[in-house]
Amino acid sequence: MAVVRIVTDSTAFLPREKMEAYNIKVVPLYVHFPDEIILDGSIDNKVFFEKMKKTSKLPFTSQPSPGDFLKVYEPIINNGDEIVSIHISSGISGTVESAATAARMLQTDRISIVDSTVTSGGLALLTIAAAEAAEEGKARDEIVDLLEQLKKKMKVLFVPATLEYLKKGGRIGGAQALLGTILQIKPVLMFKDGKIEVFDKIRTMKKAMRRMVDELPEKGQNLRITILQAEAVETAGILKELIEERLPGTAVEIMGISPVIGTHVGPGVIGLAFLQK
Amino acid sequence: MNEKQEDIFTLHGEDLRHMILSACEYFEHHKESINDLNVFPVPDGDTGTNMSLTLKAAADALLSVNSSSIGEVAGIAARSSLMGARGNSGVILSQLFRGIARGLAGKDKATLYEFGRAFQYGIVYAYNAVSKPIEGTILTVAREIARGSREAVQSSLNIVGLLQIALESGKKALDRTPDLLPALKEAGVVDAGGLGLVVFIEGCLQSMMEKTSGKEATGYKLTPSLVETRKKTQNGPEEFDERYPYCTELLIQGSGLSVEKIRSELERWGDSLLVAGEDEIVKVHIHTAEPGRILQICMQSGSLHDIKIDNMADQYKSTHWAKFPAWKNLPESKTPENNVGADVNDLVKIGIVTISSGDGLANIFTALGADKVIAGGQSMNPSIEEIVRAIESLSSEMVIVLPNNNNIRFAAEQAAKLVEKEVAIVDTNSIPQGLAAMLAFDRTASLAQNQSRMLERAQQVKTGEVTFAVREARINDIQIKKNDIIGLADGNLLVRGEVVNRTTVALLQAMLTGEEEILTIFYGSEVSSSQVEELVKEITAKYPSLEVEFHYGGQPLYYYLFSLE
Repeated sequence: MAVVRIVTDSTAFLPREKMEAYNIKVVPLYVHFPDEIILDGSIDNKVFFEKMKKTSKLPFTSQPSPGDFLKVYEPIINNGDEIVSIHISSGISGTVESAATAARMLQTDRISIVDSTVTSGGLALLTIAAAEAAEEGKARDEIVDLLEQLKKKMKVLFVPATLEYLKKGGRIGGAQALLGTILQIKPVLMFKDGKIEVFDKIRTMKKAMRRMVDELPEKGQNLRITILQAEAVETAGILKELIEERLPGTAVEIMGISPVIGTHVGPGVIGLAFLQK
Repeated sequence: MNEKQEDIFTLHGEDLRHMILSACEYFEHHKESINDLNVFPVPDGDTGTNMSLTLKAAADALLSVNSSSIGEVAGIAARSSLMGARGNSGVILSQLFRGIARGLAGKDKATLYEFGRAFQYGIVYAYNAVSKPIEGTILTVAREIARGSREAVQSSLNIVGLLQIALESGKKALDRTPDLLPALKEAGVVDAGGLGLVVFIEGCLQSMMEKTSGKEATGYKLTPSLVETRKKTQNGPEEFDERYPYCTELLIQGSGLSVEKIRSELERWGDSLLVAGEDEIVKVHIHTAEPGRILQICMQSGSLHDIKIDNMADQYKSTHWAKFPAWKNLPESKTPENNVGADVNDLVKIGIVTISSGDGLANIFTALGADKVIAGGQSMNPSIEEIVRAIESLSSEMVIVLPNNNNIRFAAEQAAKLVEKEVAIVDTNSIPQGLAAMLAFDRTASLAQNQSRMLERAQQVKTGEVTFAVREARINDIQIKKNDIIGLADGNLLVRGEVVNRTTVALLQAMLTGEEEILTIFYGSEVSSSQVEELVKEITAKYPSLEVEFHYGGQPLYYYLFSLE
């Protein structure tokens, strides 16, 4: 039986050891600064945000080319294996398109492309779940079915320090309505149907974090939680405590976000991705 | 009752019209006294003014009517007062008209008995107007009037008899309001709305007695108005002559009583003399040095009832009220009614109507997604009609209304009943609560979900208000002079002072529990930006962990409104 290989993109921001442990292939997106183009994930986040602060013009991002996908897909297909390729939401990126184009070019039906409808930690949780299923020897169709099931149970919430970045990057979605709100607001945003929507409008960061934690399920069984942060380690620690208070004994992982996502949400963002199987 | 009144008079549209117009005029004379009874010395939509505006709405509509049908006149009075109703007490008053109209519907003319029954309907409507009755308010008075007059209707009393009984029951209930509501007791007043209702009935009675006795309206006094006596006993030194410290009131019952004769006998024994009534009952009110002598004189005419003798020197010490016609000095709200329905798209299923004063606050509400901001609130309560128009002006079929003031809730509830749209009222009591509710609004959620979520979120916010006292008062053991700066936390008076910023800091200090993260200040039209900056600087230095944000609110009368959360 063919081996199923899992492919994702750089916005999942999987730590290297996870990529290696599960043999996950990652296709990077790009960040375009006026003076250079950076492969997503190829640069330390601290360095990246420093550069972003210094640059006169905000960088923009771009999806991987179909060619980038071909480079990853081709050897796997040639090896006789199959692929489940899961990616950043098509509601905010054209990555899924590039992947689909690449798959068509290979004229094979051994590649399944899954639109995660989320990104970042949410995408990471789905990717790892897929990899675990593959390791258990599940067939490609079963893995795709599993992912479709898990997508419905996945929740990604985040609070950007400011809406400026989402606005400038054009990914603001439903949070558009919050621009021009005179009062200071810490909007809790979420992925809904693949797009960014307003989940709630809260006045302070602490309350916003509590609001996210309120969304966690009652019990911690089979629950995977990832905290997402960029340049907000301290706040992430507080969020972790809040979660542990609510669900003692549940493992909570703090992850960074990739520079591409960082470009769009800005430093200071704090988020929560969770999935109950 | 004399024989003339026993004649069954037939009442026509013109008679009802006359009754309402006279009652309205009568009310107008007592409006300020009713305003003075407002418990909190804050500049707010005053009860007397609100009820008077409600009556005026009916009177204005009736002025141009020349219908002979009593049912039609009652209907016009009901509709116009309902549309013009302002404040909770105004709304209740408008319901009284509604009940009367129901009782007279389809009638060309009515017997005094029929009219009495219609009036009884009115009182019942008034009492039923409110979902959560609070004892010690206008509702207690309305209920007692209804109870007292029910028998009268059953025993086929005519309208004059009914109104007399209604008035007596109303006065009794009114006197009890301080026992039912501690705030009234502490302030040493009766309920203002209850008094308003009594005054209105008194005005009606006066007019009806004129009608049935055939006397002209000029110079006719029914009873020494309760209002007058309250004013004299409670409003302090202006009317109080130390030579005549005993305020003496009583009723004489007998037959063939002569008001003129009694008045001439009493005149030399004091001042502020009022003698009024009919040949079977006469009310006496006098300030005198010799109350015993007054009683003796009166006993020669008939039996004495409801005797009340107060030493005004005592009252002066305990409840010295400065007279302050608060409503007169209120600046009109500057905010135009602005309908800034931002990008209306097909997805907008629920619209939001909110009530606030000040251009800055209107902008903030609009920015948060309010579709229509009605100017009003602390300075002037909007009428039901204004709320109805605002609801109807929206394209959405479902509307949420945020009253942002306790005294606007009933008007909002009535407005909701008058429109065909589905309306949910989120019971917000302050501007900060209204803003918090706005933040919880979710266009994708249902009306009911929004209503409960918005209310829940509104109640999590603490509201601070800094304004000035419109008169003397003693509240929560704090003695307040007129024009003192006062600070209120969620409607409770907590601090007083002379300097706005200092009082604000004191209020904040009293409200902070250490849990709060953000303070949002809205400064009023009378505060300069440098003044608010000073305040923020002081607060930031004192409470470094508190995030402080300030915005121009532009509200009149209230120097600062703030939310703590």
